[in-house]
Amino acid sequence: MDKLAMVKRAEELVGTIEDLPTIPVVATQVLLLLDQPEVRVEDVADLMLTDQVMTARVMKMVNSPVFKPGHEITSLRLALVYLGLKHIREMALTTSLIDAFNSDTGDFEISAFWEHSFGVGMVAKIIAEKIGYRDLEKAYIGGIIHDLGVVFLSQYQREEFQAVLDSIKGKPIKLVDAEAERLGTTHCEIGLCMARKWNFPEVYCELISYHHTPSEATIDPVLCAIVNLSDLFCSVRELNYGGREWVSFNLSEEEAWQILRNEAPNLANLDVERFCYELDDAIPDVKELVRSIFNSQEQAGD
Amino acid sequence: MSISDNDFIQLRDFIYNICGMYFHTTKKYFLESRLARRMDATGTKAHVEYYQLLRSPRGAEELKYLMDEITTNETYFFRNVPQLTALETKLLPEIVETKNKMGFRKLRIWSAGSSSGEEAYTMSMMLLEKRATLLKDWIIEIVGTDINETVISQAKEGVYNAYSVRNIPDVYKRKYIKEENGKFLLSPEVKKFVTFNKLNLYDDSKMIFMKSFDFIFCANVLIYFDTASKSKVVQHFYNNLQPYGYFFVGQSESLHGVNDKFKTVHFPGGFTYKK
Repeated sequence: MDKLAMVKRAEELVGTIEDLPTIPVVATQVLLLLDQPEVRVEDVADLMLTDQVMTARVMKMVNSPVFKPGHEITSLRLALVYLGLKHIREMALTTSLIDAFNSDTGDFEISAFWEHSFGVGMVAKIIAEKIGYRDLEKAYIGGIIHDLGVVFLSQYQREEFQAVLDSIKGKPIKLVDAEAERLGTTHCEIGLCMARKWNFPEVYCELISYHHTPSEATIDPVLCAIVNLSDLFCSVRELNYGGREWVSFNLSEEEAWQILRNEAPNLANLDVERFCYELDDAIPDVKELVRSIFNSQEQAGD
Repeated sequence: MSISDNDFIQLRDFIYNICGMYFHTTKKYFLESRLARRMDATGTKAHVEYYQLLRSPRGAEELKYLMDEITTNETYFFRNVPQLTALETKLLPEIVETKNKMGFRKLRIWSAGSSSGEEAYTMSMMLLEKRATLLKDWIIEIVGTDINETVISQAKEGVYNAYSVRNIPDVYKRKYIKEENGKFLLSPEVKKFVTFNKLNLYDDSKMIFMKSFDFIFCANVLIYFDTASKSKVVQHFYNNLQPYGYFFVGQSESLHGVNDKFKTVHFPGGFTYKK
């Protein structure tokens, strides 16, 4: 289907929603502050401390198995020093996205969504590292936000989206294809419209839009390929939204694999089998991270 | 004795590199208990000491005993569910479509290292269910081979214990299994598609005659071979497979470093190999 037509359809759908969640003010301010040429950790910490929920989440995330600090980190300032400024951007963005989308709708389990998203983020970071991609945090954030359009569909097009999910259950049909056919647009274009509304940097808008078709990307096809491949791997291991989509792929035929192999020829030697098995081993860490983020929200809300 | 994380990782990597089988962290306690038996048998006191034994000249033999402990009596019907789901959902319909186009309505399946026959008969039951639809008027040939004649006669007999049949879905059980005095008997229609033969996978002169398979299964067999033998045997499987066919190894097994021609095809909960 024509990409432009699908973007137009997505704009209509996203445009009709008046109560589209907004990114919290503090997150936007943190992002702006981090864009300044000289920024002090103290300033960021002071700003973040005004948002209790965000602070609690950052503390949970930094102490989670994914970041593996040697000992428990007990203050926000230490957390920020440990993470580095780049990670703060990531934290501010992701914790606020979780805020924006934190409830189940119908059959759609939001925690399964975030487990998939953080899983893709984690795998994207590992693949980025393997191919020598310059910005690991970008790959991680990219993984976390790639499927934002899916949450929109599950919340604002609930019945139509459920019908799409029902139509592919247990069948080897891709979700994007079924969406295009039944909705006239997909979660890629919907996500793109949301990202534009929230003023995400262009590179992330592109990533969301092309994470299923990385070779069509122009700004950073390598980033799109990293996230595409991570998405595929998570979809065939246990970070697959509880099996909402039956995915299968021949790795050597994937366009993302071609893009990444051109970028880093050594990828041809990757022990793919072990990579999958190690991914299985890392799944409890991802689930624990998501659980801890949701718990910190409850605790902060008490 | 509980195994430290370091010792676990060291042993896991050793087993993976030599045997091509990965131990998931969730199986740490299982490995620990099986190791304990081998440590008793060999009189080794610490995991490090046992690891040294595995790396010594006597290691190759000891590793076989360890792999025996790890895989013993593990065979049963409907053992690898993600694999079977992938077959039903995608791989079988795909091959049927390809062969339909060629007007070649015959399906050939090989269970290499078939042991007492559970894997071969599982396939037979699954395909029987499709006789009225997808596989109408198709010829089905399932071949089970093993080096051990005792298990071959067991397979031919088709009589099983409760453990073997515990995973068979009820719909299959009702149709194809009969219980008699605590034993479980396969119906003749399940047995009809399957033949069992003695075969040594090392035997080149025999291996070249195992031709034109659509699916080959070889679970928990290659883990006993050294790398050179593994490469040789897998090359035979490669040659014996149709261009559109699939080759399956066991859960947690890997062909990395054994054969670089096969491509991995991934599906929920597993992967298979394709030319």
